[in-house]
Amino acid sequence: MNGATTAAYLARRAAQKERVRILYRRALKDTLNWAVHRHLFYQDASDLREKFEANKHVEDLDTIDKMIAAGEATYDKWRHPDPYIVPWAPGGSKFTRNPVPPSGIEIVNKGLEDP
Amino acid sequence: MSLRAAVLRHIRLPVQTLPAIGSRPQSQLSFLRLFSSHDDHLTKEEVIDRVLDVVKSFPKVEPSQVTPDVHFQKDLGLDSLDNVEIVMALEEEFKLEIPDKEADKIDSCNLAIEYIYNHPMAG
Repeated sequence: MNGATTAAYLARRAAQKERVRILYRRALKDTLNWAVHRHLFYQDASDLREKFEANKHVEDLDTIDKMIAAGEATYDKWRHPDPYIVPWAPGGSKFTRNPVPPSGIEIVNKGLEDP
Repeated sequence: MSLRAAVLRHIRLPVQTLPAIGSRPQSQLSFLRLFSSHDDHLTKEEVIDRVLDVVKSFPKVEPSQVTPDVHFQKDLGLDSLDNVEIVMALEEEFKLEIPDKEADKIDSCNLAIEYIYNHPMAG
């Protein structure tokens, strides 16, 4: 219990909190991918939230690290094979569908061959 | 026939002169249909309205406290996990895909409105 508020401790806690937030975000998106119907999603999302809330009070850095690693392993195990990605985002269906033509190219006569 | 006319005369509503259409430019713009999606971006007011609606409909939030520059954790007393949930709700509302690092930084209504307004693909 040395250095309760040293900078290193706080930096580690902050990094852990960020990892937890990103893990929660990804897990929630995954839940939305798996639970097709909205009422099922709400149920699963509150279950997930409760799992996170149950470990909220843990103070020991190493335990927290282990829990985060276990959580990330569970997330990797449950990842959806075909997640919904917004169409224009990388991985979506519309990504690079109509890329911007490179500069310096001039279309003469609307592309028609006969003048 | 005359009874019908008398009844109609009785229930006829008085005609009001509508204000001139050009006097309220914002409503005039709302009649414009933009058939190309090239440069129809959301107006700032639309973004603010929709963001506030999403935040107000969050179950742990008091709707009367929500203003455009409210901070989720400091002013509304929410958790960091609640913050994540709000950002996800905003992503669903505006059909955006926000990268994880950016989503982590969105902490207040201000930041959310700025980010969404400056995003080229906000729907």
